[in-house]
Amino acid sequence: MISIANRPILEYSIEALAANKVTDITMVVGYKKESIMSHFEDGGDWNVKISYVDQKKRVAKAGTAYALSMVKKHVKGDFIVLPGDNIIGPNVIADLIDQTGKYRIVITESEEPSKYGVVELSGKVVKNIVEKPTEHIGNLISTGIYKFSDEIFKAIDTVMGSGKYDLTSVIQHMIPKTKVTAVKTGGVWNDVVYPWDMLEVNAIALRKCASQTSGRIDKGVTMKGPVNIGEGTIIRSGTHIMGPVIIGEGCEIGPSVCIYPSTSIGANVRIGPFSVVEHSVLMDDIIINSGSYVSHSVLGEGVELGPQFCAAEDAVVMRTEDENRPVERLGALVGEKTVMGSQVSVRPGTLIGARCRIAHQTRIDRDVEDKTIVM
Amino acid sequence: MCGIIGYTGDRQAREVIMAGLKRLEYRGYDSAGVGIVDRDLDIFKDKGEIDHIEETMPDIRGNFGVGHTRWATHGPPMKINAHPMTDCHGKFALVHNGIIENYITLKEGLVERGHKFTSETDTEVAVHLLEENYEGNLEDAVRRTVAQLEGSYAIAVLHSDERGKIVGARMISPLVVGLGRNENFLASDVPAILEYTDRMIYLLDGEIVTVTKDDVRIQNIEGNPVERSWERVDMTLEGAEKGGYEHFMLKEIFEQPKVIQDTLIGTSMSTENGYTTSFSPDTIKIIACGTSYHAGYVGKHMFEEIAKTPTTVELASEYRFSSSTASRPLIIGITQSGETSDTLAAIRTAKRRGLDTLGIVNIVGSTMTREVDEVFFTRAGLEVGVAATKTYITQLIALASLAIKMGMSKNTIGIDQARQLTNQMRTLPKHVRTILDDSDCIRELAEGLTGARSMFFLGRSINYPVALEGALKMKEISYIHAEGYPGGELKHGPLALVTSETPVVAIAVKDQTYEKMLGNIGEVSARGAKVIGVGTEGDKELAKYVDHTIMIPQVPHIFTPVLTSVVLQLLAYYAANALDCEIDKPRHLAKSVTVE
Repeated sequence: MISIANRPILEYSIEALAANKVTDITMVVGYKKESIMSHFEDGGDWNVKISYVDQKKRVAKAGTAYALSMVKKHVKGDFIVLPGDNIIGPNVIADLIDQTGKYRIVITESEEPSKYGVVELSGKVVKNIVEKPTEHIGNLISTGIYKFSDEIFKAIDTVMGSGKYDLTSVIQHMIPKTKVTAVKTGGVWNDVVYPWDMLEVNAIALRKCASQTSGRIDKGVTMKGPVNIGEGTIIRSGTHIMGPVIIGEGCEIGPSVCIYPSTSIGANVRIGPFSVVEHSVLMDDIIINSGSYVSHSVLGEGVELGPQFCAAEDAVVMRTEDENRPVERLGALVGEKTVMGSQVSVRPGTLIGARCRIAHQTRIDRDVEDKTIVM
Repeated sequence: MCGIIGYTGDRQAREVIMAGLKRLEYRGYDSAGVGIVDRDLDIFKDKGEIDHIEETMPDIRGNFGVGHTRWATHGPPMKINAHPMTDCHGKFALVHNGIIENYITLKEGLVERGHKFTSETDTEVAVHLLEENYEGNLEDAVRRTVAQLEGSYAIAVLHSDERGKIVGARMISPLVVGLGRNENFLASDVPAILEYTDRMIYLLDGEIVTVTKDDVRIQNIEGNPVERSWERVDMTLEGAEKGGYEHFMLKEIFEQPKVIQDTLIGTSMSTENGYTTSFSPDTIKIIACGTSYHAGYVGKHMFEEIAKTPTTVELASEYRFSSSTASRPLIIGITQSGETSDTLAAIRTAKRRGLDTLGIVNIVGSTMTREVDEVFFTRAGLEVGVAATKTYITQLIALASLAIKMGMSKNTIGIDQARQLTNQMRTLPKHVRTILDDSDCIRELAEGLTGARSMFFLGRSINYPVALEGALKMKEISYIHAEGYPGGELKHGPLALVTSETPVVAIAVKDQTYEKMLGNIGEVSARGAKVIGVGTEGDKELAKYVDHTIMIPQVPHIFTPVLTSVVLQLLAYYAANALDCEIDKPRHLAKSVTVE
């Protein structure tokens, strides 16, 4: 599970639902469902009741409508649909459920509407919805948060019968016959579409970070701003931490490490002396050896970096499926369990896949696929 | 071994007792019963699982009562042998966990005096003795009765004329008192009543407790009042829900990365501060039962390699009856529940011999933790599946941590090596997760084992006990007969049993035994056996010798058991699941064995 400020993204949605007394929750899970089930169990910790439906088929055409069709037997009457990879604040849910109407879509304004389903309105009524439009038709987008009635399952069957598997197509199909209203929200909503979106979303989530320290903090550690440190973590002397920073349980940081703002560090992470980490997201079980520089980077679970690793940040242009996107500052994006030798340096904006092995003194200047061995 | 529960308060006793019995089911589940008083005493009991009892049970009302879930020791699982037991006049309802050793003598006397026995159990003598000893006050009768009993017991009893009162007594078998508001509880174990209260009093041996809805009084066997304060239990019930998993066992297997980390957090800081255990013994003896015994056997290799301390491992039920020798080993007792009778008895034997004792225990506040000189807590959380998985893994971590500490205090390793070993241990959660992420391939192999009637698990050195544990897991949940064997011993006998019909699982990780294991694999495959090899990632050779491979990430060989064990747990689980077995409640087994 991807974590933002050391909490799985899904947890934000569950909390938003619980805050609005929506407590009967069904999750459609698939690949690595165990990590989700182990984290949330029956939902008791969040005062909700969670059940799970396994989306057994993991095929390319299995879109959002297909996923929703899995729960046909589990929901009755009106229900809410949330995407699992968005950060959703409680106000968004409140706005969605405060008025009646069987079909409601939460919309928001976006500077990059072409990433999303764009909505055309007449008053509050949705007149048209277009997935990832190539021409500019407006900047109101669907957030993927809906209120539906169980009658939608009929429409899903029809649309899937015609070979389309996404919810946008289902809604498009319903618009001529059914009133679909738009709910514009000012509540917190963030979407992680691309890996680098995590850095910004993480920084926003960390603004709410509160100072709280457990574990052991040696003499000669400087901490400024909100710093949150988990149980069993050791911060060694000479370390300088400038909040907002969150550090998980059982970590070992320092001596003499600098951690700069908007950084999240997961559990059981070790960072060796004279390393710098800035504006980055580090998942669990990571090892960063001494003298490393990690800035504006995302490191997946279990990544190991040899001494003097360098991922400096710069303004870059990231190529996606259909276009080039400028990103203001970006370092490296490293997939889970990738292991690197000493003195590896990575060109800003490089994606390195999961479970790669990278030899000592390598310069990585282009993207690396999963499970690659770089000699 | 059984689970008992008592309730008095304003709620319907039936609801509290049935909910509690479900949480106690791991202690036994061949029959169950309740005794509740409204106007008169109503008893309902039967053979079968709790769910079955609950479905067939009439609507018994009343605000105080007792309940029982049974794992038969004396008398087969039958309705007449289920508890509660009643006296000749149906006034008392008594539930009992333990074994009354002198029941035959007591029974003879009672029969002579005209008591009518309806069951074959040892328990029934207690309720007839109560009848004889009763002079209008239940706790006095209990005190006089327990003075006549020998053996182990935790009992809860009520008398239909003394409204709202439950009396409990404890000798060896566990009993806790839960304190509520306008209600109080008695139970064999904390989880049974945790839903209602987290304030507990752990009763000690020889104590008798009188519980009413607004009062709890404890006295000793002489009848003198005892002052005891309550403890707040830091445990949550969430661990007791399946949370989307098909079985508790699978859920607990997948929790292992987390509990390894939790156990490490508990220990790593003290190691690196130079804290060492207060013991630096010349020799060690590890005593345990079942899966804990296998963990201990892995521990033997850790203590010998890291702390250079000769270590023997003995089954607790055997150690008790061994003779005392000249050597003075440190005794390490391993028990998940802290209530395992055989292990407790062995620890008591060791103490009588004047030996130092150390316990590796999962349940805080359990009997074991009060009996030993030093305790190492594994932080596995509540384990519900009867087949131990996550508690076993944390026992391995505990043993490795102790070996490192002992190595430092005996100067067999330096702080640099201790630091290196500790750092390597910290990579284990990640490696376990890798195995879990790739569990689909293990499932496919396991599904191919379902036709087997018999299997062999082979390992050498530190992975020999893992082979034992792999075989035990396979036996206990899939009912496929399996034997764990040291690779080198096969040719001294069991090879005669190897045919093309006996699949073999061979642990052949890259360590000093690797070449020899390849030889042993050759021996079995020459006899037509299909071999699954558990090897180290990157080993291209192994695949040439075996039919299938399952690879584990590279770690120092001393830590390989943590990973190979997880592989074998998954293999057993998926085989049992493909066979549609009752994985969380294997037949004839119970989780914490509190009978000897």
